[in-house]
Amino acid sequence: MSSDLPNVIKDVLSDEQDVRSATAAYQAEFPYERDEEAQVTRREFCNFLVLTSTALFVGAAGFSAKAAIDARSEHTLPPMPIDGAAELQPGSALNFHYPGDETAILVRAKDGSYSAFGQKCTHLSCPVHYAQEHDRLECPCHEGGFDARTGAVLYGPPPRPLDKIDIETRNGQIYAVSREVRGSEV
Amino acid sequence: MKFETTELKYKRVPAKAPLQRGRAAVWQARLVLLVMINLAQLWILSAAVDAALGHEFRHLLPLVVASGVCWLISLSIFFWWKPVGSRQSGSA
Repeated sequence: MSSDLPNVIKDVLSDEQDVRSATAAYQAEFPYERDEEAQVTRREFCNFLVLTSTALFVGAAGFSAKAAIDARSEHTLPPMPIDGAAELQPGSALNFHYPGDETAILVRAKDGSYSAFGQKCTHLSCPVHYAQEHDRLECPCHEGGFDARTGAVLYGPPPRPLDKIDIETRNGQIYAVSREVRGSEV
Repeated sequence: MKFETTELKYKRVPAKAPLQRGRAAVWQARLVLLVMINLAQLWILSAAVDAALGHEFRHLLPLVVASGVCWLISLSIFFWWKPVGSRQSGSA
């Protein structure tokens, strides 16, 4: 058997140019399908890397362009009355949805003024709540805090202010009329 | 116990010519550079997504430009930084 073994190994081993020759003992004793090593050549891997680079560039450019275009396009939202807003006591808050199923929070300050914001924390989208004793909006998940009048970040990890919801008073009824997403530079 | 196969005389690998060794080194260098550029572009893409979601749009253009520069470097490596002789032969 020992005389045939070199030929057997030679048959099993690939004669591909890109496959390393069997130089170690274990490679001869365990002649697995070395053809599989030639499935990806350096040239193919190089092509793959260049295509990946192209895809990453196109992805970054496309995503950035879409985000910028979406931010510049104006969305007109229909006005919506906020039920129970008129009866809201100063120093308290009311949850509502605007627009659609987007959660929002209406805050009535102690001086009687209203302000409304998106309820999703800008850190990781946990719902914020109104902390009456501190007169601010707080996120319980990671201890972020927002100003109850402006929605600006007071402390914690949130990177930008809460979404601002413009409100109007029409015939004694409080209406939500638009929603604005604000960046950190605002 | 001694296995028969241990007595086998293995195929000798002929010593590679210096030019061939140099080509292999250039190929490895090209691949390493391309992998590093891919990693940088992955980081840039994640930073662009982060900036877009955070509505920090002033960061987007520099990130896209940086990704484009990386892509151009990749193209230059792919088309022009080839081992000597492979432009004629086209061998890998």
